Amino acid sequence: MIHYRDSFLNNVARQLGRSPNTSVKPERSWQFRPQDKTLTDRNQDELLTVLRDQCRLIHTELIETTSSKLSEVLEATVTLYGGGPISIWQDERFTEFGLDTLVNETWPARYVEVNEWRAERGRENIAQAERANIGITFSDITLAESGTVVLFAGGGKGRSVSLLPRNYIALVPKSTIVPRMTQAAQEISRRVQAGETISSCINFITGPSNSADIEMNLVVGVHGPVKAAYIVIEDR
Amino acid sequence: MFQADVGKATVEVLERLGCEIDFPMGQVCCGQPAYNSGYVKESKEAMKKMIATFENAEVVVTPSGSCATMFKEYQHIFHDDPIWRPRAERLAAKTYELTEFIVNVMKVEDVGAKLNGVATYHPSCHMTRLLGVKDAPMTLLQNVEGLRFEPLPNAHNCCGFGGTFSVKMGNISEQMVDEKVDSTERTGADFLIGADGGCLMNIGGRIERRGKKVRVMHIAEVLNSR
Amino acid sequence: MAMKIGEGKFKENVNKNIEDTFMRGAVASAQERLRTRRLDAAEELGNWEEWRSHGEEIRQHVLNNLDYYLHELAENLQKRGGHVFFAETADEANRYISEVVKANGGKKILKAKSMVTEEIGLNGVLEEEGCEVIETDLGEYILQLDEHDPPSHLVAPALHKNKEQIRDVFTQKLDYKMTSKPEELALYAREKLRQEFLSADIGITGCNFAIAESGSVGLVTNEGNAGLVSDLPKTQVVVMGMERIVPTFEEFEVLVGLLTRSAVGQKLTSYITTLSGPREEGDADGPEEFHLVIVDNGRSKILGTEFQSVLQCIRCAACINVCPVYRHIGGHSYNSIYPGPIGAVLTPLLGGYDDFKDLPYASTLCAACTDACPVKIPLHELLHKHRQVIVEREGRAPVSEKLAMKAFGLGAASNPMYAAGSKMAAAMMKPFTKNDRISNGPGPLKAWTEIREFPAPNRERFRDWFKQHEKGGGEQ
Repeated sequence: MIHYRDSFLNNVARQLGRSPNTSVKPERSWQFRPQDKTLTDRNQDELLTVLRDQCRLIHTELIETTSSKLSEVLEATVTLYGGGPISIWQDERFTEFGLDTLVNETWPARYVEVNEWRAERGRENIAQAERANIGITFSDITLAESGTVVLFAGGGKGRSVSLLPRNYIALVPKSTIVPRMTQAAQEISRRVQAGETISSCINFITGPSNSADIEMNLVVGVHGPVKAAYIVIEDR
Repeated sequence: MFQADVGKATVEVLERLGCEIDFPMGQVCCGQPAYNSGYVKESKEAMKKMIATFENAEVVVTPSGSCATMFKEYQHIFHDDPIWRPRAERLAAKTYELTEFIVNVMKVEDVGAKLNGVATYHPSCHMTRLLGVKDAPMTLLQNVEGLRFEPLPNAHNCCGFGGTFSVKMGNISEQMVDEKVDSTERTGADFLIGADGGCLMNIGGRIERRGKKVRVMHIAEVLNSR
Repeated sequence: MAMKIGEGKFKENVNKNIEDTFMRGAVASAQERLRTRRLDAAEELGNWEEWRSHGEEIRQHVLNNLDYYLHELAENLQKRGGHVFFAETADEANRYISEVVKANGGKKILKAKSMVTEEIGLNGVLEEEGCEVIETDLGEYILQLDEHDPPSHLVAPALHKNKEQIRDVFTQKLDYKMTSKPEELALYAREKLRQEFLSADIGITGCNFAIAESGSVGLVTNEGNAGLVSDLPKTQVVVMGMERIVPTFEEFEVLVGLLTRSAVGQKLTSYITTLSGPREEGDADGPEEFHLVIVDNGRSKILGTEFQSVLQCIRCAACINVCPVYRHIGGHSYNSIYPGPIGAVLTPLLGGYDDFKDLPYASTLCAACTDACPVKIPLHELLHKHRQVIVEREGRAPVSEKLAMKAFGLGAASNPMYAAGSKMAAAMMKPFTKNDRISNGPGPLKAWTEIREFPAPNRERFRDWFKQHEKGGGEQ
């Protein structure tokens, strides 16, 4: 439902001194486009260096590995962060990156509780994520400049997995790294313009949650995770 | 302005650099006090008078960043006036603040001045932010023989003058100028140098009221020191 | 609480607040940190001026085509199953939101920090309806606990409080027993608020920027509270000022970057979330019902006027962080939830000159605000425009000032009078002069000399010296 749009917009147009325009798309011709030349000359290895440097500034551990060692590295990182319960996305990339054994066998055998987000379980997912010590998701797009992982939520990819657990681990395939938010925004906009339905919740997450509301002192871990780690995976 | 010494120093410095100076006796105030208080109509008469007075000068130099800014503002104020706008534009194009003129037009960076002691410099707001003259004063000051510089903490903060603000909002102005005086004192400088009469009158007045030892000098006076 | 946060007159507030040494210390140190961080963030990006110009052109384009983009936004959000309510007044917005709350049987309401909901006084309205409204931004939470102390800054609302004051509030209201360490305070608030997140019925957020092409709203936080407020409750209400919109994700990205760098010196804040309507079928979190309330509340009256550029504002507070007046008087002196230079321009436009005509004079026109603004709002020029309007259109200037300025007009413009004035000055000031100084001046000099000395006019006038000097052919 849309309420009172016409009268509202008529008034806006009147103030602007013209008749309302709701049908002719205004032409956007920008005189300046600094984003086109910001970090766009870097190759994938150089971008990884940018990401590495940035992670130091945002209190985020950056771990580099290969897809063959990923399972081992993830297991070690989880242990380091205090083990389960773990909350993860239902995401085929876990299979693609060879994590099935770890998720379905190794962890359960060691009594590490792992909960995959399953839409049919409804709010139970939220309760599990809230109890979780660690949340793990893949990054859909990774922004080198700001050290940001971009997550498209929906279905088995619950929004809360990256937000409610005490610690958060993002799995970052190296190929997802782009220079900065510009490229992510362009990709999302391209999808919108192509008529695709974009995720109803896109999160751009940059390190752990923090606040400087008390005397401008940085406190890490307020509502969201207290710690964050990114595991960068060299492509298979 | 009532400060004759600054005027004299300006004339002498420029003459030493080979300029021929005229001080048209027809000139009045640039209009800024009334203009900034919102009295645009009242201030326009003064502006017209100034435009007419300086119309035939080759260049116009003023020892005040704020007045120079105002001269350049006229063209915007007379934006809709087909007669005065072009005249204001011509004035704007040939107006310079003193140090900007010496460094950028005359291409002189050392005027041969001498002054012994430690100094700190207050960059005035209108000169740095609105006129865009940021480096010329220090370029000249660094070549003054015998003068050593200490940076002024929070130099970017306004001194609290602001024309009629200094009396209309006296209590706020007092806090601002006090912070400036305290910062100046902390540098241990003998001289506080500035390039705008308004700021210097404000800071200097407060320094004297509080019985501080720092001497306030206009940059023209420093450049005229031998 | 609405936009106006107190009954005191500006000057009374100032007199009170300049005595608050802690507040002034807190503000000064926050200003220094935030200013440095902003400058570093700008420098590291390089070509900052180009970014500012791009930000400016985007904001101007949006304002000039606001009807189109708001229409497009509503259209696209509706396609995603969201409801859109256009509210011309604060009252209309509050009434609609109350109805949504009632229809959903909402009792417990969670909020993420939002200036526009403060502006329309939403919390008060909902509390009167018997709802419990909980602010989740740590700063806002502290203020709410402390008997609804108003915010004093756009980004760091509790900037005026120290950690001991905050500890005392927690001890009194939350039975807190630990120290005043920020970490301990913050973790305690985390535990307390976590329970609230899980049991709330309705989530209310503001909107940093809506995105027209996809019907999305963008939320920017560091704490992650906006994400939780929108993830967990079944119903979400987003309230946005009508000008906070961009055409596409591409412009969204530019403005978010300008906002986070200017506000806190971060490349991006920890959480930036775009929401496009309610959850999809098959989602287990996110709101089932999604309402967007677009608020005018006086903004449209600014469109098409000489003040239009103030609507470019993205609420980063960079102008506040550099303002030398705010530095000494703090946010509460402005009597408005919008303090500092942006507040001194915006508040009188939204709230009228009756209550706020002093604000445009709370500036030396030093232009630090204009310099800092990431979308190039000429703030000091707008302050000056207000003064002109107050004097010329509203005729509200004091009579004595009008007479003085009239005299200025006559005197300054006429050379004989100006020259005579300077000639007479020394003689007139003689009775007040001691050692070339005036310490207790008459008339307009009185206010000046209450604070500082005034240099007595030189007995030898520059004009006379110059005439002599010219005769001497430039010789000394």
